[in-house]
Amino acid sequence: MNALLRWIDDRSGLGEGLRMCSDRPLPGGACWCRVWPCTLIFTFCVQAITGFFMWMYFSPSAQTAWESVYFLQHEVAGGWLLRAVHHYSAQVTLVLIAIYLVQMIVTRALRAPREMVFWSVVVMGLLCLGLMLTGDLLAWDQNSYASTKVRVNFLNLLPGVGAGLFKLAAGGPAFGHLTLTRFLALHVGLLSGTFLLMLIVRGVLAYRVDKAEVAELAEKGGRVGRYWPNQAVINAVACLLVMVVVLLLACRHGLSGDHAGVALGAPADPSVAFDAARPEWAFLGLYEFSHLFPGTMAIVPIFIIPGLLVLFAFAMPFFAGSKVGHQLNLGFTAVLLSGLVVLSFYSVWKDKKDEGFQTALATADQQADRVLQLARSPQGIPVGGALTLLRNDPKTRGPVLFKVHCAACHDFADEQDEGILAEESSAPNLYGYASREWLTGFLDARKIASSAYFGNTAFKKGRMAGMVKDWWAEAEADDIVDDIREELATVAIGLSAEAGLKSQAEADEQDAQLIADGKDLIVDLYGCTDCHRFHDKGPAGKAPELTGYGSREWLIDIIANPAHKRFYGTKNDRMPIYAEFPDEPAKNTLTAHDLGLIADWLRGEWYEAP
Amino acid sequence: MENTPEKPSPACCCSTDDGTGKSRTPDNRRGFLAQAIAVVAGSVALAVPAVVGIIASLNPLRQKSQAGLLLRLTSLDALPEDGTPRRFPIIADRTDAWNRFPNEPIGAVYLRRTGAKSVEAIQSICPHAGCIVQFTPGSGEGDKQDGGKFFCPCHAASFDLAGKRLDETSPCPRDLDTLEVDIRGGVDVWVKFEGFQTGTAKKVAKV
Repeated sequence: MNALLRWIDDRSGLGEGLRMCSDRPLPGGACWCRVWPCTLIFTFCVQAITGFFMWMYFSPSAQTAWESVYFLQHEVAGGWLLRAVHHYSAQVTLVLIAIYLVQMIVTRALRAPREMVFWSVVVMGLLCLGLMLTGDLLAWDQNSYASTKVRVNFLNLLPGVGAGLFKLAAGGPAFGHLTLTRFLALHVGLLSGTFLLMLIVRGVLAYRVDKAEVAELAEKGGRVGRYWPNQAVINAVACLLVMVVVLLLACRHGLSGDHAGVALGAPADPSVAFDAARPEWAFLGLYEFSHLFPGTMAIVPIFIIPGLLVLFAFAMPFFAGSKVGHQLNLGFTAVLLSGLVVLSFYSVWKDKKDEGFQTALATADQQADRVLQLARSPQGIPVGGALTLLRNDPKTRGPVLFKVHCAACHDFADEQDEGILAEESSAPNLYGYASREWLTGFLDARKIASSAYFGNTAFKKGRMAGMVKDWWAEAEADDIVDDIREELATVAIGLSAEAGLKSQAEADEQDAQLIADGKDLIVDLYGCTDCHRFHDKGPAGKAPELTGYGSREWLIDIIANPAHKRFYGTKNDRMPIYAEFPDEPAKNTLTAHDLGLIADWLRGEWYEAP
Repeated sequence: MENTPEKPSPACCCSTDDGTGKSRTPDNRRGFLAQAIAVVAGSVALAVPAVVGIIASLNPLRQKSQAGLLLRLTSLDALPEDGTPRRFPIIADRTDAWNRFPNEPIGAVYLRRTGAKSVEAIQSICPHAGCIVQFTPGSGEGDKQDGGKFFCPCHAASFDLAGKRLDETSPCPRDLDTLEVDIRGGVDVWVKFEGFQTGTAKKVAKV
């Protein structure tokens, strides 16, 4: 063994190199105040190791980036912890750099001949921000996409070169596949590589300066320590503490479950506004700061002032020599840090009381949970990407489409008025549409002319409402109210069966006899088929057809064209025609796809995790 | 902290050629403790990301290959009575990491009649290196009545109609893999489709 070690040592000088590190003289001896460079090397190693393993799973394209991160986060054993350690170790790195810089400023350790040591750490800080910015986008979820897009768009503020720089950063005129490949290359290649280079540069520079300082100290008989083992112990314990902090942060949302580790939002949708976009905490101060300026002057807070701050940071070592300069440095640091802290907390506080933002945040969380359910459904994630899961999901898209196209007139609210309320309710409440309960209410003399049904429409005084009222009035006169109630409930059951609602599938199956009775009542006793077409009975074109009432096809057709003679014909009351031209989609307000989503949503037809 | 030994030991705490002698002075003992703590703490700290990463990277070991799929491929009378093999694609759901592909061709088998009510199924994957073998029909002439052969284009292995190696020095370590066949009701040909490890002389199902 020794022979082998000697053989290696003779040829590589490994022992000498190790001794150079371990015997490194330290002016003033071992000290806890010296842990920062070593912890930075440590967190870099953590990032390199965890980053490498994450790279094994990452697939950089607009249709696979989120999907591969989802796979790592939710399907790979230990994947969530890997992501979380990488994420929080990055945050901790930035904090360590900040502490190290502040320490150098406060102790005036940035003075000659240590200017370049200080600069190398400033550069590390900038690289760390760059790494956070590029790494953030790679998850390609709603927030990382929206906030990174804003940041990259800022490049356009630069006069002359801005538009070109944007294209270079995004890999084209818009965000897409090439943005991801570029950001990945920048993140794992250029920025990480330069960071490593800066660590080495700092190490070499510090070694040189320390050696000279030690020689001077020795002459004066001052205290000189060596790296090994006392400083090594301190550093190792410090690294361990850093790791403990990272692990505590990584596990703060629990050790298992969908929310363990770092949140992964719903996949980015370039076509939809994302109201809950916020930068990561490190950029929050700058974000709030930029709001102090009018939009036309955005270049000032985004580029000019940060640029001047960095320039000032580079000049600090020269100021530190004089007492006044040192005071200036201290003042600058105090103002900058407290400014950032105050602005960041102000931003958080402002968001906390901003109801609109909180709603947007809640919606974003809902979508993140929903897409998880859909990705785990038997269909899995389609090749077109997980975004199509949400775009084709009635539960997600239904309410959005309803609000835009239907909620001007229709409510969609339960008895407690929870749900979607119309701007000005002037059409039936569609909550539970075509269900037994809904139809029973419709056939109730006290309700049909109420605002929940025909109350605010032209049909309030129409024949249907009149008929219903007559039935009940006659029954009351004959003292058979209970009978009519039961009969009309049976009618409702018979008609509701036409809809084939998912929520009533079990009941419909059990009540085959009742359904048959109800259908008989529709045709015979209640004479519905005097006006309505119902299967092979009744006239067509007099009143809305009841065959397949409330079914997916029926709903799509009536929304597409309520003024069709199969439905309300010329009696149609204000309901817009959404898709009059089935063969010319460009002329329609709603696409066939959106019609289907609205119909499915009204019918409660969507995937739910078992 | 000034108690640092004059000549500190090198980074490896177990080597003894540091020249500090073997006397157990208190300084030395403290030095040893410090070294041990430094090495242990440093290793533990660095082991965390490494272990987490390695565990995550081993995930593929948890994933299983599609085990024996039972599929109805054809009816008996669709197969030529003269024993000429016919190729049938295997259509099944395929999962690729996060994507699921319903009803995709995932392989193919050759079916061939060996009797009035018997059928042989041959995997189209060559057991040598996993290439796809092709059936080339014969001329039907000669004393052995050339009925054609299976040929693998990658390393020129050829097999007879029953999948037996034709060449004594064949690069292929075993004959073509046959699959379980079940003729249900005397009509429907069902095959248990599975993959086997390549390169081995023994036929071993993929796990």
